[in-house]
Amino acid sequence: MTARLREALRSTAEGVPAYPVYERALATARRDRRRRLTAATGALLVLVVAGVALPLARTPAPGPAATADATLPDRVGLPPIGTLHVTDRPRLGPASVIFDGPAPRLHGWNDINVVGVVDADSDSYRIMRMGGESLAGESVHLSPDGRYLARPDGDQDDPRVDVIDLVTGRTQRLTSTVDRSVSSSPVGWSADGGSLVVRDDVPVTFEGATYTTVLSAVTVGEKRWTRLAATAEEAHVGSVVAAAPGRLAYQYGRTVAVTDLDGREQSSFALPDETWLAGKGAWRPDGAALTLATRRSETDEWTLRQVDPTTGRDVGPLRLPAVSGVVAIRLLGWAPDGSALVAAYEPDPLAPDPPLEEQTDPPATSDQQVHTVRVLALTPGATAPRTVLTAPDQVVAVDVADQVIRSGRIRDARPPGGVGGRFWLWSGLLTVLVTVSMLYVGRQRIALWLDDRRVKRACRPARPGRQRPTWTAR
Amino acid sequence: MVESFHEFVVHRSPALCRTAYLLTGDHQLAEDLVQTALARTYRHWRRVRDGNPEAYVRRVMYHQQVSWWRRRRLVERLEAELTERADTDHSEATTLRLSLDAALRQLTPRQRAVIVLRYYEDLTEAQVADALGCTLGTVKRHGHDGLRRLRAVAPELVDATAERSTR
Repeated sequence: MTARLREALRSTAEGVPAYPVYERALATARRDRRRRLTAATGALLVLVVAGVALPLARTPAPGPAATADATLPDRVGLPPIGTLHVTDRPRLGPASVIFDGPAPRLHGWNDINVVGVVDADSDSYRIMRMGGESLAGESVHLSPDGRYLARPDGDQDDPRVDVIDLVTGRTQRLTSTVDRSVSSSPVGWSADGGSLVVRDDVPVTFEGATYTTVLSAVTVGEKRWTRLAATAEEAHVGSVVAAAPGRLAYQYGRTVAVTDLDGREQSSFALPDETWLAGKGAWRPDGAALTLATRRSETDEWTLRQVDPTTGRDVGPLRLPAVSGVVAIRLLGWAPDGSALVAAYEPDPLAPDPPLEEQTDPPATSDQQVHTVRVLALTPGATAPRTVLTAPDQVVAVDVADQVIRSGRIRDARPPGGVGGRFWLWSGLLTVLVTVSMLYVGRQRIALWLDDRRVKRACRPARPGRQRPTWTAR
Repeated sequence: MVESFHEFVVHRSPALCRTAYLLTGDHQLAEDLVQTALARTYRHWRRVRDGNPEAYVRRVMYHQQVSWWRRRRLVERLEAELTERADTDHSEATTLRLSLDAALRQLTPRQRAVIVLRYYEDLTEAQVADALGCTLGTVKRHGHDGLRRLRAVAPELVDATAERSTR
C-alpha cells in the first residue's frame, strides 16, 4: 500500500503554516481588475477611433459638390514616394489634372510608367501605374467630369481599354471587338462622358508590317462598339479627337471629319499646310465652329483660328495671342471668359530635329522632343499668353478635365511633399512583421526574463507581517 | 448560509496552503500560488460562492502550477536551508518529510498534482480527473508514472506492494 507515502504527505502538510494572503489576494484582484478595465477602455477607444475613421475612409459620394468646387491647380509636382494608387482607399474622387513623363518618380522599374492624378479641389495626389507607354491627353484621358480615367491595357491577343472610376475605384474593361485588333487605345471622350473614342490597330498582312487604324465610339455603360472610321496607319486617324454634344471631329491625314456618335459622317474638309485640328477642345463652346492650330514656319509661332465645321472656311478672327517657342500646342478647352486653355510643349534643347518625313505629321509631343509642358490661357485681346499651370521638368504631357476648364477657377497649389500613404502603410506592416519576428525568435529569452523577474520578486526578503515558515515538526 | 470571501479565506486558507505547498515544494511559490488562486476566485466570487468555492480555488491552483511550470521549465531551486536543518534533526518524521520533498521535486507538476490529490486529498481517480479537468486515463497514466518515479528515487516511500496494488 501507500501508507508511508500518505503519512509523509500529511506529515509534510502539517508543518505548513497558513500564509497571510487575504489582503494581497484582494490587492492582486483589484490590480487585475484595473488592468482589465484599462485594456477594455483602450480597446473601446480603438473601436471608437476606427468607427470615426472608417466612414472618413469610405468612398465619398459623387455629388454636385465635387464638380462645383473643381479648380485648376496653378502647378503640379511630382507625386511623393509611396503615393497611394487611384484604386486605393480613401478614394480620390473626381480629378482635375493628370500628367506624366519621364521624370524620376513617374518612371518605375521594368518599364512601368506612372500617371500623376490631382484631386478636383485639393492637392491630394494619386498615381496610376501603366505597363506601356503613356501620354496624358493622348493615350490616357480624363473624362469631362474628371471621374473616369481611360487607359490602354491588355496584350495583342486581348487588347482592351480600362476605364477606372476614381470615385469607386472599380475598373471597367472594354475588350476590343474590332476583328484581329492587336492594340486598343483610348483617344478621347464624348462631350457627355458616356462614350469613349477608341483607336484599334489591325495588321493588314499576316506579318503585321502594316496596319489599318480603326476608330470606334464605345458606350462605357453598354459596351457597344460603333465603327467611326478605318484608315491606313499613316493617316494617324484619331491623333486628335474633339467632342461636342452629339458630335465628334477627328483628323486623319490632312482631313478633318465631323460625325455623330453613330458613325454617320456629317462633313469633312481638307486642312491647309501647317495646320491641325487644335485639340480635344477644338469645338467652340457654342458648337458653331471648330478651332485649328497653325504653325507659322517663318516665325515658329502657333496661332488658333476658327473655321466652319462643314466647309473648313474661316469664320472670323479669334484675337488670341500667339504662342511661340514651343514644339506644339493642344487646345484643351475654353474658359468662361473666352480664354483658350492650351497645353504648350516646350522643346528640349538637346533633342534632335525630327526627320524630314515626319515634319508634316501632327506635332510630336513625345518625350524625346519635349522638355516640359505648361498650360497657357490665351485671353482674347491679350498681347501674350498667361501661364496658368506649370509642371516640373520632364513632365511632358498633361490633361485637364473639361469641368475644371469650364469652371474658370485657378487655385494656389501646394503639391504634397514627404512620403505618401503607401510608404506609411508598408512601413507599418514591416515594423509589425519585424517586431513579431523578433518576439518569436526571442520568445524563450523573454519567457526566462519574465520568469526571473517573478522568481526575484518571490525571493525578496519577507515583507512585514509575512513570517518565514519554520520546519519544526508538529 | 453563504459565507463572505473573508470568512472563506479565514476558514479554508490553512488547508489550501498545505495543498499549495505539496504542489510546489516551496513556501514562497506556495504563497504566490494561493494568493493568485484566491485573487482569481475573488473576481468570480459572486458566481462561485453558491457552489463549491474551495474546489474552484483548488482547480485554479492546479492549473496555475502547471502553467508556471511550463513557463519556467522546471527551474527548481535547491533549498540549502532545509538540507542544513536535516543535519540537525534526525527524527523519523523529518527524515520522511525531507525524503518526500526531494522525491516530489523529481515529478512533473501533473504527476505531482495526481499524487497529492490521490494520496493526500484522498480523492478517487475520477474525482482527480474532474479536479484537473482531464480524462481518467490521463490521471491513471500520471499516477502510475509518478509512483514509479517515487519508487525509483525514494523507495522507502513506496513499497513494492504498493506499486503492484495500483496495477
